[in-house]
Parts: sequence; C-alpha cells; structure tokens
Amino acid sequence: MTDTTEAGPTGRSAARRKEPPPAPATGTPGPPPAPRGTRLWRGVTPWLFLIAPLALLLTFTYAPIANMVAYSFTDWDGVSPELHYTGAGNYTELLTRPELFEVFFVSGYYLAASALQIVAALYFATILSFNVRFRNFFKGVLFFPYLINGVAIGFVFLYFFQDGGTLDSVLSLFGVHTDHAWLGTPTSANISLAGVSVWRYMGLNFVLFLGAIQSVPGELYEAAELDGANRWHQFRYIIAPGIKPVLSLSVILSISGSLSVFEIPYIMTGGATGTETFVIQTVKLAFQFNKTGLASAAAVVLLLIVLAATWVQRRLVPDDRVDLV
Amino acid sequence: MNRRTIPALLTAGLLLSACTGTAGTSKGADAKAVDDPSKVSGTIKVLTQRTDLVQDGTMKKYADDFRKTYPKVKVEFEGLTNYEADVKIRMNTENYGDVLLIPGVIKKSDYPKFFASLGTQAERAKKYRFTGFTMVGGKVYGQSPIGVTPGFVYNKRVWREAGITDWPTTPAEFITALKAIKAKTDADPYYTNFAAQWPLTSWTYVNGSVGCDTGATTKLVEGDPWAKGADLRVGDTLLYDIVHEGLAEKDPTTTNWEASKPRLAKGQIATQWLGTWAVIQFRDAAKKAGVDPADIGFMPFPAQVGGKFCAVVGPDYNQAVNVHSEHKAAARAWIDWFTDKSGYGEDNLAISPLKDAPLPAVLQPYTDAGVKFIEVDDTAGAQLKLIDSESEVGLYGPDYRQDLVDLARGARKGSLDGFLGDLGKRWTDAQRSVGTR
Amino acid sequence: MTRRAVARTFVYLSLVLATVVVLLPLGVIVLTSFKSEREMADDSGALSLPGDLLNLHNYVTAFQDGEMLSAFANTAFILLFAVSGTVLIGSMTAYAIDRFTFRFRKLVIALFLVATLVPGVTTQVATFRLVNSFGMFDTLWAPIALYMGTDIVSIYIFLQFIRSIPVSLDESARLDGANAFTIYRKIIFPLLKPAIATVVIVKGITVYNDFYIPFLYMPSEDLGVISTSLFRFKGPFAAHWETISAGAVLVILPTLIAFLSLQRFIYNGFMKGATR
Repeated sequence: MTDTTEAGPTGRSAARRKEPPPAPATGTPGPPPAPRGTRLWRGVTPWLFLIAPLALLLTFTYAPIANMVAYSFTDWDGVSPELHYTGAGNYTELLTRPELFEVFFVSGYYLAASALQIVAALYFATILSFNVRFRNFFKGVLFFPYLINGVAIGFVFLYFFQDGGTLDSVLSLFGVHTDHAWLGTPTSANISLAGVSVWRYMGLNFVLFLGAIQSVPGELYEAAELDGANRWHQFRYIIAPGIKPVLSLSVILSISGSLSVFEIPYIMTGGATGTETFVIQTVKLAFQFNKTGLASAAAVVLLLIVLAATWVQRRLVPDDRVDLV
Repeated sequence: MNRRTIPALLTAGLLLSACTGTAGTSKGADAKAVDDPSKVSGTIKVLTQRTDLVQDGTMKKYADDFRKTYPKVKVEFEGLTNYEADVKIRMNTENYGDVLLIPGVIKKSDYPKFFASLGTQAERAKKYRFTGFTMVGGKVYGQSPIGVTPGFVYNKRVWREAGITDWPTTPAEFITALKAIKAKTDADPYYTNFAAQWPLTSWTYVNGSVGCDTGATTKLVEGDPWAKGADLRVGDTLLYDIVHEGLAEKDPTTTNWEASKPRLAKGQIATQWLGTWAVIQFRDAAKKAGVDPADIGFMPFPAQVGGKFCAVVGPDYNQAVNVHSEHKAAARAWIDWFTDKSGYGEDNLAISPLKDAPLPAVLQPYTDAGVKFIEVDDTAGAQLKLIDSESEVGLYGPDYRQDLVDLARGARKGSLDGFLGDLGKRWTDAQRSVGTR
Repeated sequence: MTRRAVARTFVYLSLVLATVVVLLPLGVIVLTSFKSEREMADDSGALSLPGDLLNLHNYVTAFQDGEMLSAFANTAFILLFAVSGTVLIGSMTAYAIDRFTFRFRKLVIALFLVATLVPGVTTQVATFRLVNSFGMFDTLWAPIALYMGTDIVSIYIFLQFIRSIPVSLDESARLDGANAFTIYRKIIFPLLKPAIATVVIVKGITVYNDFYIPFLYMPSEDLGVISTSLFRFKGPFAAHWETISAGAVLVILPTLIAFLSLQRFIYNGFMKGATR
C-alpha cells in the first residue's frame, strides 16, 4: 500500500519503475493459473478495449486507403460513374515520368528546416527547464503558434513577405533596404515557406521535449552538479538518453511531414514558382486534370516512401524499447 | 498473419468501394417548366461560386424577388470557395444541390447522368444563345444567366496621361502603349494577379479574338494551339512580352486581387486582362475608394481582322438542375426566372443570353468602334476537355501561365519558343492518344 | 563569472528574439483588423497604425455575417463528442497496450502510427464516398466520426502517463476481485486526469481549427463551425482582409484564453511519466 502514496502524479516515479520487471501479462506469475475460462477471457480483454478504436481506425482511415489503392489501378476521373481497370498502368507512368519525382527536391528544404526545428526546440526546451525569468511567458509564446488556424497563418505570412510588407518594414527599421522578392524565386520561396513551417510547428516539438526533460528526476541533476558536470555534460548524459523516445517520434513525424507537405505552400503560393510539393502535385492531378487513378497511385507511392523512411530511421537509431512510444 | 491480413484488407476495401458505389442512374430525366407558378413548391438549394454575393445578401434579395412570383418555393444558397474541387467531390454522391453550376471537370458526355435536361436544342435555341455549349444528344442541359466577353479593364485617365488616345491594334502597339505609360506615369502598366491564380486563366479566352474565327475551338482540338500565328500563341506571347519587358508589377508572387481593384481605380495600376464581368466590380471599388467610376474602361484584344476588332461572346458558368433533385420543377423555375427576369445580367453589366436583347451600356464603346461580335462554335468542346486533361496542360487552370510568367521574369529557365513548343508537343501527343488526329 | 553572464545574456537574447519572431506577424493581424476598408484601399503599410484603434466595425461584420453565434454552438457540439470520444478511446487503447501483452500488440501500435503518416488530403475522395454511404454527409456526425478516428499524439500522451501508474495498483485490485474493466474505470482513468486535461486541450484546439473537414462535409449554412465562418469571407471574388483579420482575431481569441488559463495542464500532461 505504500506504493500508492509514493507513486501517483508527482512524476518522480523513475525509482518506482525499478521494481521487479512489470508482470508481462497481468496475473501470470503469482497466483496459480486461473481456470481456462478466465484465461480465455483475459486473452480477449485487451481486444475488447481495442474494439472501438480499431473499428474507427479501420473504417475511416484504412478503408479509404484500401479504396485509394483500388482506384490506383483504374483510369477513373474522380466523378464519372464509369471507370476502367488499367492494371499497373498508372504505376508504370509514374516511374517513367521523372518530372513527377523532381518535386521531391522541394521536400529537401522542409527536411532541412525540420532538422533546424528540432534543434531549436531542444535548445529552448533545455534552457526553459532550468530557472529563467519569465519562464512561463516564454513557454507560452513559443507554443502559441501551434494553436493558430492554418489559413490564418497563410494570410499572416503572405502579408509578411509582401513587397513593402512586414518583413521589409522591419528590415528598413534596421536600415536594410532590399529589393528582394521573398517569394519570387524558387530558392527564396521555398526557404521562406519552410521558415513558416518552422514558425508554426516548433511549439509542439518544444512542449514534447520540455515534458520529457522535466520528467527526469531532479536528484540526478543535483548529483551531477555535485560531481562537477556543466550544462553541456548534463545535457549529454542525463537529458539526451531520457528523451530518446520523444526524439524518435519527433524525427519520424518530421520526415513524414516534410515528404507530405501540403497546407502551407498550397495556401500561400498554390504551388507556383517551384514550390510545388508532391502532395500538391497529386491534388492537382486529381482535381484539375481529372486523373484520380494516377493521383491515387502517386499517393500510394508516397505512403510507401514514408514507410520506408520510417523503417530506415528505426534501423539506424534503434530504441531499446520495443515500441517507439 | 500479416501476409494474410493485407489481401484481406484489400478485398474488404474493394468490396467497400463497390458498396459505396456510384450515384444512381436516373438518366434522361427532364426538368420541365411548369406554366402555373402557384403549382411549383419546395425548398431548393442553389450552389454557387459567388461566395461574395451570398455573403453580402445579394443572392437573398434575388430569392425574395423570386418568392413574389413563386410564393411556394424557398431558395437557399451554398457558396463554395473552391467551387470546382468541392463540387466534384460532392458529385460522387447524389447530394449536390438542386441547382448548380456545371463544373468544368465533368465530361460533356456525362451531362445526362448528372443533370436533368432543360429541353431540346431546337426549342431552346429560339430564345437563348450559347445552347451549343451544354448540348448533348440534341438536348440542352445548362443555361448561363449571363454572357461575357473577355477584354482589358483599364484606367482611362492613366492611358490619356500617357498620351494614348486610341486602342492599340496590334500586340506591338500594345507594348509600346504600356511602355509609354511606364515612362510618363507612376502606374504599373499591367498587373498579372499572379498570386490569385484564376485571373491568369482569362488569357485562354483570347482564343477566337485574334483570328476572328468561330471555329476556334475546333482548331484547338485538331491542331497545335501554339503553332506560329495561332491565337493562343499570340496571346501568350503578348503576356510573356509584357512581363519580360518589365511592364508588369515587381513581385507577382504577392499580388492581391481584392486590393488591385481600388488600385486600378485610383490609377496605380493601368491595365488588367479580364472580362466584362469584372467591370462592375472595379466600378464599385472606384466608388469605395472615392474615385470616379467612369475612369474604368474596357478594350478588346489588340488584333484586327479587316480593320475591325473582334470580341468573342460566350456563356459564363451554366446553371443546371441536379438529375436526382426532388424538386425539379422548382429548380427549373428558378433557372428560368434567374436568366430571364431577375435582372442579374443588368446588375452585372453583362451580355444577356437572350437572343434578342441589346448589348449592355458598358460595351457602347465597342459598338461605336465597330467591334465584331462572334460566338465560337462549341461542338468540339468535349474533345477539347479530354485532350486538355490527358496532356496535363490545363488551359482552364493557372499553372502553365504561371510558369510562363516565371519564365518571362527569369525565375524559370528556358526560352519562350522552347516552352510553347513543349506545350504543343504534349498537346499533340494527347490528341493522338485521345484519337482526334 | 563573466562566462556565466555571457551565457545568460545569450539565453535571454535568444528568448526575446524568438518572442518577437512569434508575436510580430500576429500583431500585424491585430492592427489590420482595426483598419477600415478605405484605409486598406489606401494601401497603408503593414506596420502602420489604424486610424481608429477601437474601430470595431470589422468585428461586428465578422461576427454577424459569419453567423458566429450558431457557429460557436455547432463547434461546441462537435467538440463535446469528438473530444470525449478521443479521451475514452485513447485511454482505452493506451490501457490495452500497456497493461496487456497480446499477439498483435506491435501491429496495433504500427497501425496507429501509419495512419498518422497518411496525408488526409490524398484520401479525401475515398473518405468522402465512405462517409456518404453511412448517410452522415451534411450532418454533425461526419466530422465527429472522422476526428475520433486516429490520433497517435493523444495515445502517446496517455501511454506515457499510464506507464507511471504502477502495476501494483492493478494487482492489488485484482486480488480484491476486480476485472480489467473495473480496474480501468476505478483506478486508471481517475489517475489519468492531467493527461486527460492535456488531450482535451490539444485535441480540442486541433478540432477547433480544422477547416477542411467541416467545410467539405457540412455545406449547409446552419451547420457552420467557427473555422468555416471565417472563410465565408474569403472566396476567389472577395478577400476583404480587414474583415478576415477581425474574424481571425475572433477565432484565435478563445484559443488564447483557453491556452492561458490551462497552460499548466498542458505542460504537466506532456511531462508526467515520460520516464524510462
């Protein structure tokens, strides 16, 4: 019964976890094996809990995916009541048209931006987990962009990058007068858009890291300081191992996010001037040129690429935990 | 286990897709007009892309007017921001309003599957123009409440200040005129509205104006739209030259459609290629900005045949009745009333779709200049859409023109000839695969 | 000491810079929302102050024309069901995954993760047909069903939290004769309160801001939600930025208030139990 009082929502339960390996299946060691009926019941119980979530998941996510895979084998235009099966024709077309894959270069910008984003999030999470003045204010400010409506952000930044807009006005305050069209060339536009993406999503990474860092028990820091470790050492040996799962999740989400970027460039430039991403291209194929079959094939290919990237990442940086969470 | 679940999922998915099925086939249904207004009843939903008119209550006023003649019919509006994409998704179901505008994505041959017929072409053509655009198998499926003609909206005062008195008659003269504006006034001679995307599609409607050819659409279907001397090539080259010579705005990527209206009214912008439908909007913007609306002028494409300009008149979006609608008579009544009696056309300074109606006052300068009005024959319209989608050129979309503008201002590598040649090749390849060559 | 001081200065400087970067674009929106149509037509610079700092005209327009009152009601309804659904489902999933070992455990987790990696916009046609075949089109249930579907972030939050609840609690309850469901209901769920708060906030805000799903599945005017009300103003023909800014501020305001008052829960929720 002492367990109950010591554990609970204080978060300092690292020590608690050191108790004998948590019973892998509740009830197996200890009391004599339960009668067969109960064991069957126990085997079924987890599934009972999972019925609702899995049903929703399968119905609203996987069924459409299956449908989409089915469409990718047709030449459907997205609305006509008739369609014809074309076998793997769409996939062949995808592979023989290099320009359809060139758009992945644009994702490179977002990938680089996410790397920066994670580093920045880690940096801010680290400094804000120690004592800094106005800590809560800064925490709030950094997280807030994540909560803002996507289209509103698009407008805010269109205004920001306009000729004579916010960015130009601010720069002129510092005496820098550029004639640069921020969204004017592919390179500049992609960098600007990737910047907007960082602005928007860093808050989430930040809070995730902050939570993980703050869960590391305080005694460890004190002990380390007594041993003469400075901030950097503390980061490397205490914080870093503790946030591995969160970091892993963040990296996976970043990679998949960069490959499937859609909202920000679509709202701000519609994909013009070299800012077209793979998903924008897919949407255009489906809705402007009525090639829903081809677009579905493209979406399937994208999904496979994202899965492959995730798998590679898990191989390169294995977690000692079985699940990534 | 995994190996077996995946095929199982796939089969389930395919079965599901069969179950979710397609819209029912009530082919060949008609929306007949009913003579007695008191017999028509029901609540109908009208889908429209004019979100602004739904927003500020204008559409409601029309609905209230309609109610006076048809007291038992209630009209509700749904404004769709991305009309084409949103309606297309909805047309996968039977639920796409009672009255809707025919989206460009629907194949002409599919019209009978989605819309109820409004009558045979023989009878409709007696009263209305543009019946050919929605005619399938002898029956007409849509009706546009307004006719439009493309043209340049320009600020007369600025053009006068630059010393230009007459409309340019060739593209070269046009460029010279813009250069004069740039030299002698503060205005941006031309505004592309690049960022809003859809204004760039109006350049497609140059087709027919240059050669004054009623068979222009058929020419697109059978030949190369960007061959030397072809209408689209002339139009696109003009756009290219305008941007290339620095006569357009400095940063196309951050243009603002709404803001461009008062700016043109005030003379900060001199010209935009749009259509008659835009004039009323610019005049309203002028009033709001405190400037004289009479400064807004309208001129045709700088090309003459036989010493006269040519203006192509065509329908705007066509209204149609949903073939699955349960209030077809009411829907039909609305379309008829809206086209004939609502005053929508006059309010928008548009060309009336009624055969014997006079031209709106805004086109008076055209009549004075002896501009020839032609209607392009749309028999090949269905084929045109097929080739357009197959080639992924997108005549009615903004993409290739955005690339063109990028090319002109150096944000994209290549030459004009190479660019247009590539478009031409994709087009002719698609013609072959679709089978019109 | 100096090194320390330099380090500290750098830290504060970076924080201030980050603050400016975050707040500047937003501040401009607030300024724009107070400008009149005439001022917008005059194309005053982005940073210029509006003529009348208390010009509430745009706010009134945004509120009335956007029918925000009914939008708030609809949004509240959707939020209620979607969020409570997510909490129940997320916590049940986390409970099942953490407390039991069963054959397909890894597969289930993978299913949820993969589902998040699929960009929703590519499956929209297929999803739409499916929702329609259930007859949910143009009802409030379509978005509710879609929002409850998958959410790896919520599951992650619950999972992290459940891990810090010791198994011994379960075991002692089991000795007292409780079955799995009772354990879940009486022990686990109440202890998850901070995590629940976090999920409610984060999921709630995501649902609140989502625009595309309500727009596509609930076209009727009386079924508008807050995010779609904002976009009644933005069509290809009309983009009155001063009204949109006012609308955006109105839309962001509840988020801001919720965030400021519930900050503590957000941070705590992410924090608990994120130990090894």
